[in-house]
Amino acid sequence: MTQTQPKTWDVAVVGAGMAGMAASLFAAERGLSCLQIGNGGGLLFASGLLDLLAVHPVAGRRLWDNPFEALAMLRRDQPDHPLARVDDATMRAAFQSFTTALGAAGMPYAPPGDRNANVLTSLGTAKPTYGVPRTMSAGVGALAGRPPCLLLDFRGLREFSARQIVATIGDRWPGLRMARVEFPGAETTAELYAAHMAVALESGDFRERTIARVRPLLGDAHAVGFPAVLGLARSGAVHAAFEEALGVPVFEIPTMPTSVPGLRLNSALEQAVVTRGVHRMLRANVTSAAFDGTAVLTLDGVPGGETVSARTVVLATGRFTGRGLTAGQQRVTESLLGLPVQQPASRAAWHSRDFLDPAGHAVNRAGLATDDEFRPLESDGRPAWPGLFAVGSILAGQDWMREKCGAGLALGTARLAVDRIARQLGVPGPLAEAG
Amino acid sequence: MKYALFLGCKIPASVPAYELSTRAVLGRLGVTLVDLPFNCCGYPVRSLDREAFVFAAARNLALAGAAGLDVLTPCKCCFGNLRHAQRFLDEDPALRQRVETALAAERLALPAGVTVEHLLPVLARKVGLAAIAAAVTAPRTGLRVVAHYGCHALRPSDVTRFDHPLAPTIFEDLVRVTGATPVEWPRRLDCCGEPVHDANPSLSDRLTQAKVDDARESGAEVLATACPYCQMRFTEFQAAGSAAPLPVLLYPQLLGQALGLAPRTLGLS
Amino acid sequence: MSASFLRMAFLVSLGLCALGLLWRVSAWLRVRIGPDARDIPFHQRLLAAVRGTLATLVSRRTPGVLKAFVLDVFLQRRLFGGSRLRWLGHLLIVNGFLLLLVMHALARLVTAKLYPDYASTHDPWLFLRNVFGAVVVVGIVMVVAGRLRRPPSPPRPQRPMDRVFTALVAVVLLSGFLLEATKVASPKAFYRMANEYIGSTDPEELLPLRLAWATDFGVAFPDLQGAPDPDKLAEGRELHHDACASCHSPPGSSAFVSYPISRVLAPIAEPLDGIDADTWLMYLHLAACFLGLILLPFTRFIHVLADPVSLLANGAASAGPLSPVGRANRRALAIDACVDCRLCDDRCSVAPIARSLGNPALLPSHKLLATHAVATNPRWLDRQAGHARRIAEGAVLCTTCGRCTDRCPVGIDLADLWVAGRADLARAGQPSPAQWVRERSALDWDEALAVQTAAQNPVGPLSSRRETYSACVQCQTCTNVCPVVAHGGEEPGGMDLTPQKVMNLLRLGMIDLAIGSGMVWDCATCYQCQEHCPEGIRVTDVMLELRELGYRRLGDTRERRQRE
Ligand SMILES: Cc1cc2nc3c(=O)[nH]c(=O)nc-3n(C[C@H](O)[C@H](O)[C@H](O)COP(=O)(O)OP(=O)(O)OC[C@H]3O[C@@H](n4cnc5c(N)ncnc54)[C@H](O)[C@@H]3O)c2cc1C
Ligand code: SF4
Ligand code: SF4
Ligand code: SF4
Ligand code: SF4
Repeated sequence: MTQTQPKTWDVAVVGAGMAGMAASLFAAERGLSCLQIGNGGGLLFASGLLDLLAVHPVAGRRLWDNPFEALAMLRRDQPDHPLARVDDATMRAAFQSFTTALGAAGMPYAPPGDRNANVLTSLGTAKPTYGVPRTMSAGVGALAGRPPCLLLDFRGLREFSARQIVATIGDRWPGLRMARVEFPGAETTAELYAAHMAVALESGDFRERTIARVRPLLGDAHAVGFPAVLGLARSGAVHAAFEEALGVPVFEIPTMPTSVPGLRLNSALEQAVVTRGVHRMLRANVTSAAFDGTAVLTLDGVPGGETVSARTVVLATGRFTGRGLTAGQQRVTESLLGLPVQQPASRAAWHSRDFLDPAGHAVNRAGLATDDEFRPLESDGRPAWPGLFAVGSILAGQDWMREKCGAGLALGTARLAVDRIARQLGVPGPLAEAG
Repeated sequence: MKYALFLGCKIPASVPAYELSTRAVLGRLGVTLVDLPFNCCGYPVRSLDREAFVFAAARNLALAGAAGLDVLTPCKCCFGNLRHAQRFLDEDPALRQRVETALAAERLALPAGVTVEHLLPVLARKVGLAAIAAAVTAPRTGLRVVAHYGCHALRPSDVTRFDHPLAPTIFEDLVRVTGATPVEWPRRLDCCGEPVHDANPSLSDRLTQAKVDDARESGAEVLATACPYCQMRFTEFQAAGSAAPLPVLLYPQLLGQALGLAPRTLGLS
Repeated sequence: MSASFLRMAFLVSLGLCALGLLWRVSAWLRVRIGPDARDIPFHQRLLAAVRGTLATLVSRRTPGVLKAFVLDVFLQRRLFGGSRLRWLGHLLIVNGFLLLLVMHALARLVTAKLYPDYASTHDPWLFLRNVFGAVVVVGIVMVVAGRLRRPPSPPRPQRPMDRVFTALVAVVLLSGFLLEATKVASPKAFYRMANEYIGSTDPEELLPLRLAWATDFGVAFPDLQGAPDPDKLAEGRELHHDACASCHSPPGSSAFVSYPISRVLAPIAEPLDGIDADTWLMYLHLAACFLGLILLPFTRFIHVLADPVSLLANGAASAGPLSPVGRANRRALAIDACVDCRLCDDRCSVAPIARSLGNPALLPSHKLLATHAVATNPRWLDRQAGHARRIAEGAVLCTTCGRCTDRCPVGIDLADLWVAGRADLARAGQPSPAQWVRERSALDWDEALAVQTAAQNPVGPLSSRRETYSACVQCQTCTNVCPVVAHGGEEPGGMDLTPQKVMNLLRLGMIDLAIGSGMVWDCATCYQCQEHCPEGIRVTDVMLELRELGYRRLGDTRERRQRE
């Protein structure tokens, strides 16, 4: 935020969900001047796990071990799916730079490879995902091999129960034990909060006292699972310290949202974009936009109001919870610009009769139709404005929650759109491509 | 560059070195400061009577407006509070009306467009890091400094617009420009404990202790502040303890050293 | 009136005055303000006072202290910096009065000894007396004008004795001038003097002299109307020259105050003579003087003594911090040193807040009285029915910026008094709101509110609007980032609520349960919650508003309880 602002930005990103953050990050990495507008905080609800694509087709609930094979299948079955427009190289590059940036901002990830990983959840179930934070990755191997393991929880931390996990998965994981410990210094406290424990564990003193309580419980455990409270800003260091002191792999299990990994992700992404020179306007909303030679956006939440101008705009305003789409009496509309929304013919067709229909609901695939560069289309089929792009969950034809492709959708589409923007503005490609 | 200097209540009475060093450093960097007969920023009455708080703040804005100057304050609480008052005036027309009437009784008026700035953004963005770097003659090379951000300047970011609330860089940038090394510390954005000192001293002590411990554990040699309340809290808390205190420096003292100013002019003995 | 009676009365008054002074001055060693002053015995304070005075007078600092003394006591440097008009006015009053006292009231002791031919009715004495009197009057006018000119600050309750004394001073001045004026115009006084110095009271015999006095001195003889016979007048003037001139100067130009008054009184000079007006005025004048003398130690004019001491202490303190005993003495002295100039109020940092709240108890000059009263009279605060909280606001809202101290012309360390006074207030049952709220748990407060008042709708602009908190999804982020929750839990019985629960209470309309909670009052206003809330809820702003509501509602409840 200490930079002076150029008059006209190369890119203005509207939205601060995962798609918006990714678009800003990629744009800044390309050397584009970038302004990003939008309330952060939605990412607090995320778990830190980055799904690429795990389920396809949704109706058959088919799980994929290799997300790139799933992508290939998707391209064949649903060529209009936004992910079908993203090639593998772009997708890999997107995850590569995204996780590298997060690592630099204090939230390291296991290097993304070719496979989806199964992560143990706080419900005792296994969740297939692609990008796994380093603090959680030892759990993937443990869940796969199921050697004797110890799961710990803390008295007073209501959102996480090791007993519940063991109860759910124990019969299929005989060596799995649980133990409950007192969090140091909180012996008289009724209720604990994950983030406070995470911050406390960044201090060596608390860490040592906790480790001293855990060590006697180790027994034959090949690995130890904790609720995700191992550090906030320095989770990498805290996790490493636990592994070193306990002498066995240590892994975190994500707790229910809002969780510590959500806080980490939120801060790390904000830090990542800011340190790359993105001009970040939080707590501001775009209220209207006019497009001419450049786009002129009007903002609220800024004293006295303000307009900004940009050569290109990335719309990453999300779906209904993100406020990118509005569900009216009859129709779904695009909230900011009134762009045409691809949607079921009538409200009656929004939802399937069966609420739990495995195929999902048609309204969950509503969104903006775009060309291959993710430029939203007017009803006549032409891009609404040559420099306007849409990324993330606002795009039509996907159901990221059921397909388990939220991050893949956000990162892949953002990456491709930014590539196209760079080309449009005549900026050379990234080093990886150039070399 | 010219500002009305808003010292607030704490600096003259309790942290005079802050005034000295601020004047010395800004003087060297070519910023002119004007003294106006300001009153309390309104902070003490904030939680007892909102209107009185807004009025007190508005009166200061009116004085600056009458002099045609923007306000520069080295105090983060005054800074946050004056900006909050502007927000309340903006969002509550009835309140604004009453405040205007009360000001009119003193032949004052709410000014349009008086900007309230804190010392750090003025240094980093108005004077500019490059200009400061050019003026540094005695870089503090090798000194490991943790920068304490201070709540009331940083948050809520939509009101203060000080820096990114989760990932601010301004203070570290300013430390770096003195030649010193900014040290990362997990609790850099946490509260110093001062605001609950009266209500709950032991809670306040725990908050401060956590910060100081963290700063030490991160390997800092100096803790830098830019607010009289934080400065007092860290020094007084450590003075009451038994451990050798981690030195606490006001940012303009650190910068003043780098600019080669005499310790006496910076309130350093 | 016999001279011996006068002397007696004077001596008795003087004795009473001395006793009063002793009592008042001893208060500077008796009064205890602040917790650190509570356990210091009298003899230690006396010792410290003596030592401090000696040390200040006989030290390397002596020249500095003397300089400060001259500048501050005689030249009133600080008042000069504050208001030129009032500085001049004050200078005129003090010196006018002092000169009147020495030259006129103590004429026999001083003036007559220095100038053997002293006669009160002869120039320069007559002239000077008028000058000095006028100087005092002009000074008073200037001071009053000075007070009228500056922005009105609310009147400070005066001690009754000060009112009485002010009235007495007015009586002394007025009766003095009137006495002189009546005497000038009085035929009776003329005859009395004529009898004494010429041995005649025969109007005819004295006609030339009477003509001279009527013409040159304005004696109002009822029978002498029209233009006088020039020969007779010349004769009279000669007689005057031989018999009277050594004691009497013509008042026309010398008594430039009383002479015009005597002209006004001339038409009624005879009836005045008839009732012996000059005698009565003389009694009045003297009685007022004596009474004033007796009361003097109990009025604000004690500052004449207290100020030099206060300035001495100030000088000593500027060289290095005073000892706790020395500070205790200095605090006790403050109330007497204060001259009620209100310069402190003018520059008080929170004066605009006082105006906005309509609460003059915030102003230092008012606070000085309250601080003294709370420290010296344990029941005083209780008697301020309904005002105790407002008085306490003065202590709570003071920023201890010290501007009042800088401004005080008599060198009172006001900021130190405020800090000390806070502890006394707390002991008298008015600690800061954040402290008294803790007297009960949130549940207790809620119950008390339910018993005493119907549940009230919140009146704050944020908490009264549903949109403020309706979007809260109870995600707990605010609690997760709250340092007070993180560290408050370390105490047994730690946190009663969390920010998220406070928001939930708001959603449930149970605001009364929130306003007395430790969470609301312990909130560090760090804005972490507000910054992090994914729904953009202004959590901290709401917390602060709840405090405001709590301060009002719980404060009312508490006061009601205290009264019962
Ligand atoms: C509850 C939850 C769980 C998740 N779990 C997972 C998971 O398990 N795995 C995974 O990979 N990913 C997960 N994610 C992240 C997921 O990848 C993304 O949320 C999803 O791709 C949608 O992201 P988005 O950025 O397109 O939209 P959103 O996240 O909805 O963001 C939209 C943004 O636009 C802003 N906005 C809207 N209108 C305006 C305007 N006019 N002006 C300015 N700003 C505006 C909003 O404030 C918001 O910041 C989760 C997210 C959430 C919220
Ligand atoms: S110390 Fe208190 S009373 Fe004195 S000027 Fe400052 S705010 Fe006013
Ligand atoms: S305290 Fe000092 S400044 Fe205030 S009224 Fe008294 S003498 Fe004047
Ligand atoms: S963070 Fe916001 S939404 Fe979440 S519980 Fe707190 S107030 Fe409610
Ligand atoms: S502002 Fe108050 S409630 Fe919010 S996080 Fe800080 S201390 Fe907690």
